[in-house]
Amino acid sequence: MDGRDAVSSASTAMEIIDRLSAGDPEKKKYYIRLFLDTLEPELVNLRAADVGSDQERIRSILHKLKSQVQTIGAADAHAMMSAHEQTIKSGGGISQSELDTTCDRLSTLIQNLQDLLK
Amino acid sequence: MSKHLKIALVDDDIPNTEILRDFLIRNGYSHVDKYHDGETFLDSLDRFDERAVVLDFDLSGGGEINGLEVLEALKERSPQTHVIFFSGQDSLEVAVESLKNGADDYIVKSNAAFALVKTSLDKVYDLQVLRSNEKRNQRISWSLALGWLVTLVGVAIFVAN
Repeated sequence: MDGRDAVSSASTAMEIIDRLSAGDPEKKKYYIRLFLDTLEPELVNLRAADVGSDQERIRSILHKLKSQVQTIGAADAHAMMSAHEQTIKSGGGISQSELDTTCDRLSTLIQNLQDLLK
Repeated sequence: MSKHLKIALVDDDIPNTEILRDFLIRNGYSHVDKYHDGETFLDSLDRFDERAVVLDFDLSGGGEINGLEVLEALKERSPQTHVIFFSGQDSLEVAVESLKNGADDYIVKSNAAFALVKTSLDKVYDLQVLRSNEKRNQRISWSLALGWLVTLVGVAIFVAN
């Protein structure tokens, strides 16, 4: 993801959270914290997962995260997570590099949300 | 306008449940409970539960049982309860299974999903209003019939005397 995509993704998240919070600044902060409370620990869990033995755990985390990234407007991250979840469900596995790319995308999203709190 | 339909949201996704709850409250549904696992929700049920339930399939982040198991237990205890399945699983198999087990609707989580849940709840609310009006009309009809009967008996007694 280049810098322009990150800016665009951040503005989408901002617009969506603005809409969801009906313009209430306190509510907006509250929602962002709620998302961060889930996304941050799950990013740690994903980074710690072993693609050799933790595919089901990875699937479960991706399933949980995909709805949340979709709500904040990260369609690309949602598509990536859905595709990986489907691959694991159908008996395949995702590679270390695919997991790393997903973690990096999630990390950018978290950074965007943290920036919105400033 | 406040809508008198009680709602229970059962989903282990905490941010989305919180946002959906606020969204429904902003749209007139003032009584919205939330549960993050199926077990706690089932414990909260009573025999005459009137709540409409918005139920996720994958509840693994909160408890041991999934949405289909919650649906089955719920329909045994409270068959009249309306259930809207709200799931990240765009699986035909889960959708068919939930509808076969008595769910009223199946909504896949997406950007438009909150509005779809509200539309589905609006239908449940309209149905509830319709049923309540039917009951009221039935009561009025019975009262009128009883009134006529009393009048007729009165007239018959008067004529007999």
